[in-house]
Amino acid sequence: MRSKYVLRFLALGYLVLLLGIPVALVFWNAFQDGIGAAWAAVTTPEAQHAFYLTFVMVIVAVPLNTIFGVLAALAIVRQRFRGRALFNALVDLPFAVSPVVVGLALLLVYGRRDGWVGQWFADQGIQIIFSTPGMILATMFVSLPFVVRETIPVLREIGTEQEQAAATLGAGPFQTFFRVTLPAIRWGVAYGVVLTTARALGEFGAVSIVSGKLSGQTETATLFVENRFQRFDETGAYAASVVLALLALVTLLAMNVIKPKEAQA
Amino acid sequence: MSIVIDSVSKHFGDFAALDDVSLEVRDGSLTALLGPSGGGKSTLLRVIAGLETPDSGSVSIAGEDATEKPPQRRNVGFVFQHYAAFKHMTVAKNVAFGLTIRKRAKEEIEARVDELLKLVHLDGFAHRYPSQLSGGQRQRMALARALAVQPRVLLLDEPFGALDATVRKELRAWLRRLHDEVHVTTVFVTHDQEEAMEVAEQIVVLNDGKIEQVGTPQQLYEQPANEFVMGFVGPISELSGRSIRPHDVDILLEPHDGAAEAMIDRVIHLGFEVRVELTLGDGEKTWVQTTKAQADELELIEGEIVWLRPNAPSGAPVPA
Repeated sequence: MRSKYVLRFLALGYLVLLLGIPVALVFWNAFQDGIGAAWAAVTTPEAQHAFYLTFVMVIVAVPLNTIFGVLAALAIVRQRFRGRALFNALVDLPFAVSPVVVGLALLLVYGRRDGWVGQWFADQGIQIIFSTPGMILATMFVSLPFVVRETIPVLREIGTEQEQAAATLGAGPFQTFFRVTLPAIRWGVAYGVVLTTARALGEFGAVSIVSGKLSGQTETATLFVENRFQRFDETGAYAASVVLALLALVTLLAMNVIKPKEAQA
Repeated sequence: MSIVIDSVSKHFGDFAALDDVSLEVRDGSLTALLGPSGGGKSTLLRVIAGLETPDSGSVSIAGEDATEKPPQRRNVGFVFQHYAAFKHMTVAKNVAFGLTIRKRAKEEIEARVDELLKLVHLDGFAHRYPSQLSGGQRQRMALARALAVQPRVLLLDEPFGALDATVRKELRAWLRRLHDEVHVTTVFVTHDQEEAMEVAEQIVVLNDGKIEQVGTPQQLYEQPANEFVMGFVGPISELSGRSIRPHDVDILLEPHDGAAEAMIDRVIHLGFEVRVELTLGDGEKTWVQTTKAQADELELIEGEIVWLRPNAPSGAPVPA
């Protein structure tokens, strides 16, 4: 009996110490000078642009990584090809490599001076590094594995019989995918999307290197927080943090709210 | 529609699942592919459906070469052992799937689904999900789904294999009746000889990727082509070095020409059937199947000496 409570106490205590208290303090600090001051801090033109840029990161990186993730999972689970194991391991690379290294790597490839790819783009009049395209690339890189990792186990679990049944009933490969496979794996994909979104919202290191940190131009919400913090604008830093935390929370909740209803089916 | 399989071979690595198999399935017939697991029967069924591509040979359905056609263009109904129900769709949507793919009118689909659910005794379950059905109900739903598109042939892969014994027996009888109503050319795979004998008009015995024999249940039982078929479709007993059905032996109380002397080891009463275990003069063990009436009349007791004589009227027993 007692061990049950000890276990709960330990698990909860760990969570409160590591997560609860710090996050609560962020909220506390943000509203120290009142809600009005916090609101003003996150509605300055710089802040608005920072949130807009973060939104752009999410809106581009998440759909692309979702499509790639589902296709990659299909290839890894359903096909046998040379180098499949290597491909499977490569997908995890963004988990293993520090975002700072990712940023530097992108600089080497797409930078105007060092990278020949970057030079080619520069000749076409497209700037990648210190501009939005580079930041999007960085965000995509670091948030790439989530959909693949969440989709693979559900794809394995459903097996191929439903797809074969669909084929014998007259469905072509596309119809089978959209009517049978995708609905069957949708919760795995959805969870991957939520994690990808959360990661894209919160990315700092890689984006920081390739952005150039021009306030109001190449500054995402996380960079904005750092910027405010270094200028001793605590209300601004914490208020923007609160918005980021709330966005992440809403993403997680959105999924938990829709899931149970349909999961019964 | 008839199915013609011509010299089909299929290998999985070094394993020959089908080795130069040729077979004809008559239009409107009910055929069982019978054999031990790994014998090639499921592979043959999947080759007919287009779910496996043969290494060589050809398959034609209704006189049309189907070898190169993908499964979605063969118009076959396929029922899987584990149902392959679309879990995210209701029973009605599952059954309607093939018709929806074919873009039939909504009213037509509804009418056809209603009709099929009645046929498989699932009316009233239209809005349930597969997870809310029992195994037998799920399999009937899968059958309705396969029949919805009016397939040219219906293929069933161990359709009752995952069900418990009572439901299995029920569904067998029901499949038989359904075939009488719908008349679609039907091929089903089973490893259970009783199921094959009870349901099918024609049985194809497959072993080691080859066809051992094709015939009616009676032909297989009474005129087995070889030892394997004989052993697979019924009980087997040995008498004077020959394989014989244990009920094709007479027990005599007096010596007789061509009768072998034996001592009764055990008399087992199984109700109507009585099983007698004996040791022959040369020390070999054998057994005979007889009826309660006969055993009572002969007053068989353990330790008694009797004489055994084959009484098989039809089909010579194969040499062992």
